[in-house]
Amino acid sequence: MSDLLVLAASALGVLAMVGAAMALGFRTRARLTESELARIAAEEGRTLQEALIAADARSAFARLADGAVLVARALGDGVSARIAPASGVRVTLEKGRLRVALADIGYPPLELRLQQAPPAWAAAMVQGGGA
Amino acid sequence: MKAPIAPPFEIPDIVTYAVPGFILLIVVEMLVVRATGRGRYQFADSASSLWMGFGNQVAKVLLGGFVVASYFWVAQFRLFDLGWTWQVAAACFFAEDLVYYWFHRISHERRWFWASHVIHHSSQHYNLTTALRQTWTGALGLAFIFWLPLVWLGFPPAMVLMFQSISLVYQFWIHTETIDRLGPLEWVMNTPSHHRVHHAINPRYLDANYAGVLIVWDRLFGTFVPETKDEKIRYGIITQLGTFNPFRIAFHEWAGIWRDVTHAKSPREAWGFLFGPPGWSPDGSRKTSASLKAAWRAGPHGPPASSPAALGRSKTRAGEGAGGP
Repeated sequence: MSDLLVLAASALGVLAMVGAAMALGFRTRARLTESELARIAAEEGRTLQEALIAADARSAFARLADGAVLVARALGDGVSARIAPASGVRVTLEKGRLRVALADIGYPPLELRLQQAPPAWAAAMVQGGGA
Repeated sequence: MKAPIAPPFEIPDIVTYAVPGFILLIVVEMLVVRATGRGRYQFADSASSLWMGFGNQVAKVLLGGFVVASYFWVAQFRLFDLGWTWQVAAACFFAEDLVYYWFHRISHERRWFWASHVIHHSSQHYNLTTALRQTWTGALGLAFIFWLPLVWLGFPPAMVLMFQSISLVYQFWIHTETIDRLGPLEWVMNTPSHHRVHHAINPRYLDANYAGVLIVWDRLFGTFVPETKDEKIRYGIITQLGTFNPFRIAFHEWAGIWRDVTHAKSPREAWGFLFGPPGWSPDGSRKTSASLKAAWRAGPHGPPASSPAALGRSKTRAGEGAGGP
């Protein structure tokens, strides 16, 4: 019983601290830009060739000059990006949403809502004939 | 069969008693960050760290008895009856801190143990909530086996557990960017400055400062690296997570191990994926700390050719992780 009380109190403590963080304005959200993607690629010694940025600028899928791809998502006020060989991602397209999945469960699939058809290089990667 | 010597006083649940202090200090740190701009908070990141801490408490309720029972089982076969004296307590403090150093170092150098410890490093922020971003799988991953030799030697199990708790509580306050260097304390104690280096992913800082309470172990075993002001620290892990979901955070590395081991082409490969350095791969195509440091040393931003870091004596042993087991 005392364990349950401690856990309940801890859960309340968590909610209080998250509430305090929100109340203090720690709610900044990053937005992705092509220059930010180019910087991330350059940090890894790569060159950005073409980028597809979601309408909300919270996720992006890009092709690099060496044929690899870059996936990026805004995570809070930061960015989390992965570079993978083109064969290392699974790309599907459904109802105007491009879905890019990696094998790692630590990086959930990106979903990019597109306002127009994906560019040819991205469409060529779509599996299952969705493009 | 010998029952362990009982403590002469009732030992409180130190970590639970410290929780109100943790909450208070987190709120104070938030206010300081807001007022000074020194440090960084983001509510979603903090929420995921705090829920990881909550899950860690749940795991302790579910599995803590198993860990404690293991200590008491081993205590039956202890070599000496060290008992509860001030001298033994002082020796136990140093012994526990030394064990923590090696537990922590191996948790970074071997993927099996890294799978639990990676959770603590998975935030790109570094603040007091990061301290509470703790594993859910430590007991299942058998992390506690590192402390069993102390009990086998004869330190009372309750004393070992007490110093483990004290170490954990000590390490809370060093997860902050709001405190700079602390003068002479930096020589002996693990401090915010030393621990920022430990959480950094800049190549120059990889595999350094594993200390719990005393930094002297890093100085002794060649893993100490001081913080430098000429490079902004980047926090997190080499392959940054793309989620705040606590369940994905808790189990992603275990899932990665499962995926790799089930696709291994030989027992040797399976062994490498389980117990090699994090990032090990049969063809060396993935990044390990050693390969990243080697690239850094060889690159234009690396240390001068004659420096200890360039010669591989600074933080990573020369050749470490080059080929895996």
